[in-house]
Amino acid sequence: METNKHITIFHGPQHPGITGNMSVELDLIGETIQKATTHVGYLHRGFEKLVERRTVIQAFTIVCRICVPEPDPNEANFAMAVEELAGIEVSERVKYIRVMVLELSRLASQCMWLAGQSGSIGLYAVGQWAIADRDLILDLFEELTGGRVYHMYIYPGGVRRDLPDGFLRRLEKVLNHFKKRLKEYDNIFINNASFKSRAIGVGIVSPEECIKNGYVGQVLRGCGIEADVRKDAPYLVYDQLDFEVPTAQGGDVYARALVRRAEMDQSIHILEQVIDKMPEGEIMVKMPTHRKFKLPKNDTWVKVESSRGEFAYYMAGDGSEKIRRMQVRGPSLVHAFTLLEDLLVGAELSDVALIMNSLGICPPEIER
Amino acid sequence: MFATIKNRFATTDIEVKREDLYKVVVQRDAIFELIFMLREQYDYQTLNAITCCDWIEEEHFAITYILTTSDRKQSFMVQTMIGREDAQIDSLTHTFEQAEIMERDLHEMYGIDFPGNQNLVELSLENWVHTPPLRREFDTLEFVNNNLSFREGRDGNMDVKKEMKRLRALKKAQKAAAKKAKEEASEVSDGN
Amino acid sequence: MDEGFLKEQQVMESDLNSETSHKSSVDFLMDWFRRRSIFVLAYGTGCGAIEMPPTFTSRYDAERLGIRGAATPRQADVIIVSGYCSYKTLRRIIRTYEQMANPKYILALGSCTVNGGMYWDSYNTIKRLEDYLPVDMYVNGCMPRPESILEGFMALQKEIGDGKISSWQKYEDNYAFYRKNQEAVLGQTVAPAYDADWYLYDGGL
Repeated sequence: METNKHITIFHGPQHPGITGNMSVELDLIGETIQKATTHVGYLHRGFEKLVERRTVIQAFTIVCRICVPEPDPNEANFAMAVEELAGIEVSERVKYIRVMVLELSRLASQCMWLAGQSGSIGLYAVGQWAIADRDLILDLFEELTGGRVYHMYIYPGGVRRDLPDGFLRRLEKVLNHFKKRLKEYDNIFINNASFKSRAIGVGIVSPEECIKNGYVGQVLRGCGIEADVRKDAPYLVYDQLDFEVPTAQGGDVYARALVRRAEMDQSIHILEQVIDKMPEGEIMVKMPTHRKFKLPKNDTWVKVESSRGEFAYYMAGDGSEKIRRMQVRGPSLVHAFTLLEDLLVGAELSDVALIMNSLGICPPEIER
Repeated sequence: MFATIKNRFATTDIEVKREDLYKVVVQRDAIFELIFMLREQYDYQTLNAITCCDWIEEEHFAITYILTTSDRKQSFMVQTMIGREDAQIDSLTHTFEQAEIMERDLHEMYGIDFPGNQNLVELSLENWVHTPPLRREFDTLEFVNNNLSFREGRDGNMDVKKEMKRLRALKKAQKAAAKKAKEEASEVSDGN
Repeated sequence: MDEGFLKEQQVMESDLNSETSHKSSVDFLMDWFRRRSIFVLAYGTGCGAIEMPPTFTSRYDAERLGIRGAATPRQADVIIVSGYCSYKTLRRIIRTYEQMANPKYILALGSCTVNGGMYWDSYNTIKRLEDYLPVDMYVNGCMPRPESILEGFMALQKEIGDGKISSWQKYEDNYAFYRKNQEAVLGQTVAPAYDADWYLYDGGL
């Protein structure tokens, strides 16, 4: 290594352009990255150990904390895995309510992404708008579940509370507001020349690599591959709802942004159908007392589509009240290592935040 | 596909967990052959995850490789058991690039060795010298009590269980007293 | 005249000539400036960081109270420890805190910093932040809402304005105590030895 030519810097953990508490070690010549190494573990809490020490229902209260920006896929996965192991079938109304919560959280998470992605290239106005719009969804969540960020709502066997009076009407209002706003986001951000000039041709992923390395979500769809857990292995009632899987060509940051923007439209479309179709029924099946609720000795693998791609859980029971093993496989695990370390080689230092945001890397789900 | 696997790997049970999820348990020395067969002949091209479950009573780890087809409609759980002492199983990094990070995670959390993986350095923990934390014999509460201190409770802090017991006894005594008083009253009225 | 700038000006002026004042007018003025320009370090150390964007953007708008973000520790006044602290993060927080210039304050969010919170039996998080760093203000909740974060900030501002806070001084004075606790969980290599304000000593600025 020649002296005075190489420089090694840490991007994060204390850095405004990082997507959470993690860091990337960059080896630079000038402004060009030669080698990138991801470091995680700043948020390791040992969830998988804590879950083993708690009964099923006690564990339910902590799983939502696994992924901070979007907790609901965790709750849905946990509930689905427990229901599959224990052989519980939930009612139609519960399924629709769960779809509604999942789609709302997807919409909120995409707003968060809008703020992050625009902030990473210095368009701060978009962030101010997007976060304020996200708060409208959080208000709905607060009314429905009592919590802004952590909901603890999708309970194994049902949901914790029924919809309040007039909730769907207020939801419709928020959706109408979003429909108007999304056009403005198109003008100020997606079609903005400064975003295009920064994003097009940066961070290109090839389709073959995607399949082989197990990339998920927008990375796949940005390469033109129509992959979505909601279509490929439908859970809840996604097979009864009409929606499309948006794709884009190019595999770069801009393609992923287009996919995310189109997904927001689809989420709104799904939510409108949910409002029309919401059936009547029970919100909770009869469950045994939580101290006597036992899981049989068996294991399973469940997955849902989160806002960043496939989110999966492995769960094993051992015939006792406690879960033997729960392993989280978030979308960011492979993205943050195999993909990010590859993509950053040859990129400019100023593009690091841009690429990280477009992959939607969320450290708490990598290290749990 | 099921018949081929059954014949070739001498395994009896292939579980169909859901219509999109199969599971098979095979011997340890046959697992990579099965994974490569699934990959080459049946389009299971993606390695989604490697999971591990500690069955301390039966003294083995259950390692599960989860494979998915390239159209993402089918998943296959391929499971094998390895002994808990000096646990090791070959690495898959030469075939699947993403196996590196998954194996690194399991190496840290369970102490399983993956010969062939060049990058088994620590991932989430820093300077960890105790038992790997996800092994069942590691007691996290004991670790916390030995190494960290909690804040003392409030001055009037009470033991919840004791207090509940006390309240219950109090209620019972009150009820008994009320009953006794009632009986006495009725006795008096009877006497009259 | 009950509130606002005029009131403050009155209070200030009345204090200038007061002999019974517990602090000098310059100190009073400095505190007054400090409480109205709080620069918060952009370091999301835990899950409470997800409520930072709403707090600092248009809906709750912390900037109207003079609270805004700062990118580097050298320019920041407040570090927010937003929730649980794993050992690995604690090491970075200590390093960052020691890099910040005096006066500096610590705002701790969530139950986790008070007593471990939800992760009370976790092997990788610390339970009481104040054993390792001098905490000025706790905001409780899991996680605290933007309103309560703002309230925490306002309480902090009030204390700064009254000149009650000197936690950085406390950290320097009791450094042996803090260092002992830090080394107990992080080992010998916590951070380089802390000599605060080297630039004020001889040979410095």
